Amino acid sequence: MSNRRSRQSSSAPRISDDQMIDLVTKLRQILPEIGQRRRSDKVSASKVLQETCNYIRNLNREVDNLSERLSQLLESVDEDSPEAAVIRSLLM
Amino acid sequence: MQPTSSMNEEFLKKWQMGLQIFHPSIDNTSVHERKKAIKLSADVAMASLRKGTTCWSRALIEKTATEDNFLVRQMLSGIKAEALINKKLPKRTVCHRKIVRRSKKILRRKSKSASEEAAAKAKRLVKRRTQGLRNVVPGGELMSNDVLLLQETLDYIVSLQTQVNVMRSIVDAAEAEIER
Repeated sequence: MSNRRSRQSSSAPRISDDQMIDLVTKLRQILPEIGQRRRSDKVSASKVLQETCNYIRNLNREVDNLSERLSQLLESVDEDSPEAAVIRSLLM
Repeated sequence: MQPTSSMNEEFLKKWQMGLQIFHPSIDNTSVHERKKAIKLSADVAMASLRKGTTCWSRALIEKTATEDNFLVRQMLSGIKAEALINKKLPKRTVCHRKIVRRSKKILRRKSKSASEEAAAKAKRLVKRRTQGLRNVVPGGELMSNDVLLLQETLDYIVSLQTQVNVMRSIVDAAEAEIER
């Protein structure tokens, strides 16, 4: 692995260019917006990292929303109804 | 690198197990308590898919255990719960920002060319964004190795996608059931 331009400190190796390119490729497959951009190599590392952070935050927010929706659902369903039985079978 | 259907199935099974553990008290609790249980069991389910092989999953399990120790122990009882909860995570790295900033100032004075300045600026920005990533990935602050951080991030994202996809399907199905 060539680390020609990046300085290596003893305890925390910097991300080398090769490693960053590799990461950009992988992230591009995962992140929605970056994948759409055609200018392949010109996407800056800092932009990729920023998009990654945003994406993770969005995913966590969605999990939170889904948990809230599910909780509300269980609250609103009458315990003895057929709907409750179906929902229970989905969840347990 | 995509969530696989086997990951989806495994997550669903584990999440359902977690919900079952909470179920007995499910009717006597507030919406808020229930939401918390749903979310915590989803997080443990997601983390346990990795069977302790990644830093983020161990950190997430530890964090969840501080919020509901009983739930975590019950959910992990099949997979060496104790080992995962008490597993020693690497020491936190203390970044002495003031010292780094001071020494960087000295270095900066020496490099005067515009292109060198631009490159240095880009490097600083990458550093800042990397630190931002550490704040959103569980256990990130313990990963001083940037390469490790990126690998963990990728794995964490794929796991999050699994979690979201399965939860979304279940909630959509449940809501459709109500609206019938």
